[in-house]
Amino acid sequence: MSNVIVNRVKEFLHRFPPFSFLSDELLTDVAREVELMYYTKGEYIFKKGNPASPHFFVLKEGSVYLTEEDAGKMVVKDYCDEGEVFGVLALLGRRPYVLNGYVAEDSLLYAVPVDVFDKVLKENSEVSLYFAAGFAAGQVVVRTDLSQSQKARKLLKDATSDHGLSLFMEKGNLNFPTEVLSCDHGTSIGKAAQLMQEKDVGSIVIVDSDGFPTGIITDKDMRNRVVAAGIPFEVKVEEVMTSPVRTVHHQSDFPTIYLTMIKNHLHHLILTEDGTDGSKITGIVSDHDVFLSHGNSPAVLIHGLMNTWDVQEMKGIRDRAETLLGYFLENEVAIDFVASILSEINDVIIKRAVLLAKEKVDKDYPEECKVPFCFLSLGSEGRQEQLLRTDLDNALVFGDVENDKLPRTKAYFEALSQEVIQTLIACGFHPCPSEVMANNPEWCQPLSVWKDYFSHWVNLPDEVSLMKATIFFDFRAVYGTTSLAEEMTHHIYQVIEERKTFLGFLAKNALLNPPPLGFFKNFIVEKSGEHKDQFDIKLRAMMPLADAARLLILSHKVLGINNTFDRFEKLATLEPQNAALYEEAASAYEIFLRLRALEGIASGTSGRYITPRSLGKLQRQLLKNAFAPIHQLQEVLTVRFQTDYIPK
Amino acid sequence: MSWWQIFRKRPMKSAMVKHYEEHFTKPISKKLPISELTFVVVDTETTGLDPKKDHILAFGGIKITNNRILVQSSREQFVHSKKKSASSIKIHEIVQPRNAVSPREFVRGFLPYLGSDILVAHHAGFDLAMIEKIGRPFGLRKLHNPVVDTGDLAMRLEHGIHYDPSRINLRDYSLDKLCERYKIPIHDRHIAAGDAFLTAQLLIKLLKEAEKKGVVTYGDLMRW
Repeated sequence: MSNVIVNRVKEFLHRFPPFSFLSDELLTDVAREVELMYYTKGEYIFKKGNPASPHFFVLKEGSVYLTEEDAGKMVVKDYCDEGEVFGVLALLGRRPYVLNGYVAEDSLLYAVPVDVFDKVLKENSEVSLYFAAGFAAGQVVVRTDLSQSQKARKLLKDATSDHGLSLFMEKGNLNFPTEVLSCDHGTSIGKAAQLMQEKDVGSIVIVDSDGFPTGIITDKDMRNRVVAAGIPFEVKVEEVMTSPVRTVHHQSDFPTIYLTMIKNHLHHLILTEDGTDGSKITGIVSDHDVFLSHGNSPAVLIHGLMNTWDVQEMKGIRDRAETLLGYFLENEVAIDFVASILSEINDVIIKRAVLLAKEKVDKDYPEECKVPFCFLSLGSEGRQEQLLRTDLDNALVFGDVENDKLPRTKAYFEALSQEVIQTLIACGFHPCPSEVMANNPEWCQPLSVWKDYFSHWVNLPDEVSLMKATIFFDFRAVYGTTSLAEEMTHHIYQVIEERKTFLGFLAKNALLNPPPLGFFKNFIVEKSGEHKDQFDIKLRAMMPLADAARLLILSHKVLGINNTFDRFEKLATLEPQNAALYEEAASAYEIFLRLRALEGIASGTSGRYITPRSLGKLQRQLLKNAFAPIHQLQEVLTVRFQTDYIPK
Repeated sequence: MSWWQIFRKRPMKSAMVKHYEEHFTKPISKKLPISELTFVVVDTETTGLDPKKDHILAFGGIKITNNRILVQSSREQFVHSKKKSASSIKIHEIVQPRNAVSPREFVRGFLPYLGSDILVAHHAGFDLAMIEKIGRPFGLRKLHNPVVDTGDLAMRLEHGIHYDPSRINLRDYSLDKLCERYKIPIHDRHIAAGDAFLTAQLLIKLLKEAEKKGVVTYGDLMRW
C-alpha cells in the first residue's frame, strides 16, 4: 500500500474529531480502509429509509444537507461542511437512515467502513464518548447518553492552552506530614507546647487511649486561648483543645480535602484510616501545606479575604479568583466544584460586606440592629452558578416587628443594604439593571411582606408575577438568620399546594424560550442590535434548563436544593423513568455554564453572548448536542403540566 | 517494426506474461455501466522523458471501483536503476530508492495488479511506453488493457467529442492545471503514488461530468 496516499488521508482526518483523538496507529488503520467518493450538487448520498451502508461519511470538500421531506418540501435538519461526520447513527443502530443526505455543493467524501470503526470505538474511549455525546442533535436513533458527556467537558478544552497548573492532580502533589504529633488526655498545656517546640510543628493532636483523635491545639490556640487568656500552663490539654476534630479518609482525593478545608475555614485537617474520628490518625494537612502546593489556591484567596477589611483588597482578591477560574476551566476541574468554590468566595465577600455595613450603620440604630434578618442571594448566585461577576441579584428579609417600630426598622435595613451593595459594587460586581437588589426598598422587607409577595405571585400568575417568581424562587441565605429564609420556602410550598394551577403557568413560562433546534449552519443568532450575529447562551440555552429544573423540583416539593445540576440530579432519583433525560440535562447545563465562563473570561464580559464563529468545530458540535435535552424536557413539561390548555 | 528486427531474437514470453494475457479472452461488455467498472490509475517516475533511453524509477497506482477510490488498493514501488539523471532527480527527487526491486520483481508484481482493469493515466502514452519497455525482456509485447487518458477525457468533456486537438492549448491539460480547474488540492506532486492519487481524484470528477453528458456505459466512455 502506498504510504503517500495513506498519509494524505490521515493528515486530513487528523484535523477533525473524532479522528483527532486516535493514536497514529489506529488512524493509519482507519485511513487505509477509507474510500473516496464524489457527488455533484443535487444528488442524494442516501435517502431516508434506505438501509444503512456499511460505512459512514466524512466530508472532505463541499457541503451536504441532512434533510427531511415535509409535505413535498425539503426541510434541512442539519448542515455538514468540511470535516463533518455524518451517516453514523444509522450504522450504529443498524437501521435505515432517518434523514436524506442531499448534496448541496459538489462534494468529495471519505467513506469509512464501520467495521474498522467498531474496533476504534472499543479501543478509544474519547471516540466512543464523542459518539455517545449525541452525534446529530435531534436524531433519536441512538439514545444519546449525555451523562457520559459529563466527561465531554474535556472536549471543550482548547488543546493548545495547557497551563500545566497542577491544581487538581492526585494527592502526590500535596506534601503533608504522616508523622503526627500527638499527646494523651491529661497532658499539661505546657508539656504540649514543649513537644510542639521540639518537633517544630504548629499543632498537636490529642488522642484517647485507643489513639483516636479527640481534639487539636494549634499555635493560634496557644496564643489566644492560653497565653492571652492567662491560663496557667498546668491546665490539661482537653480544657483548651478544639473538639471534636474534623477528619477525612486518608485516601480522600485532593478536591475533597481542599473543599472540606475551604468550606469549614479550617487550618488543619486530620486524615484517619476510615475517615471518622474513631480510627487511627494517618496524617495531618495544614493550610500551609496547601498554600505551598498551590500559590493561587482558593484557600489562599479565602484566607486573604478573611483577613482583610479593606474593600480595595477584597476587589483585588476577587479579581484573582477570576484568574483562578480561568485556570480551573482550562484544567478541566469539575464545574460543580468550580461553582461551589466561586460561590464560597462570593459568599465570603458578601458576609464581609454585611459586617462592614453593620459596623457603620448599627451605632445609629441601637435597637433596630437587634432585629433578626437574612441576606439572600437570588438568581444565578442564589443557585450557586455564578462563575463570573455578573449582575447582582439579592434581597433582604427581616423578622416582623410591631407596626410602630416598622418604619425605623425598615430604615435601618435599607441603610444597611445600601452599604452592602456599595461595597459589593466596589468589589467589582455589577449592579442589577432592573434593581433586584437589597437596597431597593421593595426587596428589603419583613417576612410577612415577603410571604404576601409570594402569595400574590402564585395567586395571580401574570407575566410580571412569573418573571418575579423565576428570580425570587431561587433565593439562598448567605448571611444572618437562616430560619427566616426557611420560613419563606415553606410558605411558597404552602401557597403552591393551595393553588396547583400555578405550576402550569410556570411551565408555560418555562416554554417561552424554545431551544435553537433545526438551525441552519449556525446557531440561532441575534438578528440585530449590539449583539447581532451572536448567540445568547443565557436566554436560549441556560434559562430553559434552569426554569425547567426549578419548576420540576417545586412540583416535587423538594426543599433546599437550589442548584440546577443538583436539581436535575435529584430529579433523576425522584423519577427513575426520566433519569437519563435529567442526567443529560445536568450535563448540558454544565457544558453551557463552562462555555459561558470561558467566553466571559476570553472577552472580559459576562459571556452571555457567544460568537459561534469563534468556536471550534467540536465546541459547536457539543453545544448543538447539548440542546437536545432542552427540547425533550420541554416536551415533558408540555405534557405534564398540560400547558396547551393554559390561556396565554 | 524495421525489417532487420525480424531476425532479432524476441525474448521468450515468460509465465507471468502468459498469465497476464489470459485475462483478455473476453472483452468488457459495452453496455456495462461505468459505475460497475474497475479502473487502475497509474503513474510512473522515470529517469527522463525518452522512452528509448530512460526507464522507470518509481510506480504508483490506485484502483477505482463503483466510482470509489479505494485507499486500500494503492501501491507504491521503487525500481532499481543504474542510470542517474541530474535533471530528472530535480523533478522527482528520487535519489536512492528505498525498498527498490529489480525490474523482474517489479513486472511480476505489476501485471497481476493491473489484471484486466481499465488502465488510467495522465498523458497515458508515456507511462504505457515506459511500462511496456520494462516488461519487454520478459516477453511483454504490449499492454492489452483498455486505456483512458485523463488529459484526453478532460478535453473531450470540455470541447465535445469531435474536438480538434490542434486548436487546444495542451498546457491547459497538464495535471497541475486540471487539478486546479477541478479543485483538487495538489499534494505530493511528482511522487508516483501522489500523482496517481491526484489522477484518480481527477478521474472520479471527470466521470461525474461525463455522466451528465450522457456518457454512462463502458461503450460510451471508450468511443473516441
